[in-house]
Amino acid sequence: MEKQPIVELRQLSKTIGKKKIIDNLNLQLYPGQITGFLGPNGAGKTTTIRMMAGLMRPTSGEVFVEGQSVTEHFEETMSKVGVIVENPEMYKYMSGWKNLLHFARMNKSVTKERITEVVEQVGMQNRIHEKVSKYSLGMRQRLGLAQALLHRPKFLILDEPTNGLDPAGIREFRAHLRKIAIEDGVSVFVSSHLLSEIELMCDRIAVIQNGQLIDIREMNQVEEAHYYIEAQPAEQARELLTARGLSLEVSGAGFITKVEQEKIPELIHLMVEANIQVFAVQPYRKTLEDQFLEMTGGGQIAESHTK
Amino acid sequence: MLNLIRNEWMKLWHKKATWIMTIILVIMLIGIAGIMKWATSNMQQAEETHSWEENLAENQAMLKAELSNPNIGKAEKESLEEELALTEYRLDNNRAPLDPNSRESYVVNSHSMLSMVTLFVVIAAASIVATEFSQGTIKMLLSRPVKRWKILTSKYLTSILFALFLIVVAIVSTIIAGYLFYDSSGGSLLEYKAGSVVEISYWGRVLTLYGLQFVGVLIYTTFAFMMGSVFRSSSLAIGLSIFLLFMGPNVVFFLSRFEFTKYILFTHTDLTGYITGNMFIQGISMPFSIAVLAVYVLIFLVISYWSFIRRDVTA
Ligand SMILES: Nc1ncnc2c1ncn2[C@@H]1O[C@H](COP(=O)(O)OP(=O)(O)O)[C@@H](O)[C@H]1O
Ligand SMILES: [Mg+2]
Repeated sequence: MEKQPIVELRQLSKTIGKKKIIDNLNLQLYPGQITGFLGPNGAGKTTTIRMMAGLMRPTSGEVFVEGQSVTEHFEETMSKVGVIVENPEMYKYMSGWKNLLHFARMNKSVTKERITEVVEQVGMQNRIHEKVSKYSLGMRQRLGLAQALLHRPKFLILDEPTNGLDPAGIREFRAHLRKIAIEDGVSVFVSSHLLSEIELMCDRIAVIQNGQLIDIREMNQVEEAHYYIEAQPAEQARELLTARGLSLEVSGAGFITKVEQEKIPELIHLMVEANIQVFAVQPYRKTLEDQFLEMTGGGQIAESHTK
Repeated sequence: MLNLIRNEWMKLWHKKATWIMTIILVIMLIGIAGIMKWATSNMQQAEETHSWEENLAENQAMLKAELSNPNIGKAEKESLEEELALTEYRLDNNRAPLDPNSRESYVVNSHSMLSMVTLFVVIAAASIVATEFSQGTIKMLLSRPVKRWKILTSKYLTSILFALFLIVVAIVSTIIAGYLFYDSSGGSLLEYKAGSVVEISYWGRVLTLYGLQFVGVLIYTTFAFMMGSVFRSSSLAIGLSIFLLFMGPNVVFFLSRFEFTKYILFTHTDLTGYITGNMFIQGISMPFSIAVLAVYVLIFLVISYWSFIRRDVTA
């Protein structure tokens, strides 16, 4: 990755009272890329995002946007950032349109035409003049996205945006983010405590636990490395595959194995020749989820869910 | 900054409470005038009425009698002499005083009704920052390319604008009530100034009284604004501000014999006392009061800005 990062967290730390909530975070975010920010509840995602949005002062370290520190150059940096922190709380007693007008007035270059454009982009033109108090959670999320996009930010921060969205909503949202990232070269930073909700939309994932960054990985590294193979008779298939030097792990009716993509046709060919019936050969995605659970300790996630 | 104030003004008027407060203000001001008129007209039927000349002549005789008493103190003597001078001026030059049941004296005396404006402006000023926190919208508001001090300034200016608006509504309502329930009568206002009697303009007096009352409104507005910024909870800020608004003057009344009372905020919030002569404590002057008020306002603003700009937003 030789591109210049658009956002950089340098040794970011936050202590509240005696508790170290964020501990020496270093992270770079690049244009056109969607980075996931994954961590169990209470890991410090929202706190990190609050510091990136200028709502909290870091105890030490800094957030840079295009090389400028957010605390020192607040107005310049924030005009490049669009953000939704936790739920998008809008002024419920006003219409969606008035809310957008309100936020538009706080940026120098947002015209009425731009507001209309964004409203259409998030598909709210039919109900934009209704009061926000009448909106469903999904509509509030859309309105939240609209306010974050108004000023064409180069960097978009979304904190648990899939909260309260149904699967169809999540899919639509994902397509939307992809489009923004690819077409406008926006760098997107999406937090979530559920890998399954963001793994399909992210190019990379940064994992945070107890305020520390414990892993950053590119998504395509992992995805193709593991395959799920289901074939009958299973014993014969196992012999054949282990003879090719693969180590297998039983999973349901089949095996999971680590193998490069280009070897797959050859393996299928061998199994078919040996009269083995092949039912399924597919990339195995769960690996990341498993690794995430391993890294963060599955039990702890369940625990922090309940509090 | 203009856009920020437009935003605040828009939000203010999208809240039902703002409309309700304005409507209550108008209804109360006109309603109370009606009730007062009704009550006094019932009482007056029993009384026999004299002309103002008869009343003043009686008053003149009384003042003279009191002045001839050799035991009265110096201060009392001066004030009696002043009053006598005014009375004699009226009789000699045929200048009737304002009839207490006239439209003119109703309007000029109603400046004290502005405590209702104070109450409503306090509610609005305490909420203008606090509700952003309690509804969570503050994080939307502050993650914009606008520095925090600008946002707070726009909110403060909007509170003052709202105070001005309500004062104008109150004055207009009072004048309407005056026209509805009272008849005009002639009469003039006199003042004893530097040893001689001068006539003063009626509307000048009205504006001065309402203007001074507005200073008090501004002080309470600033105080409530600070409470909202510090506590970030509208109910706490409104509750505490209103409590102090009602308790403050009473506390001053009880403490009036102590020297330090003259540094307490509430001693100075009603500047109209300097015009009407109703002062709680003696030995203070208008410039002194204004200086004390200025110091308090400055302190309130410093605390407001410090709290708003420095503290993390976790709402
Ligand atoms: N204002 C605060 N004061 C004290 N502790 C806080 C505060 N805000 C958050 N925390 C703590 O910081 C940790 C991280 O919180 P948060 O950033 O909200 O996590 P996440 O968004 O990943 O669920 C939690 O343990 C939480 O209890
Ligand atoms: Mg969170």
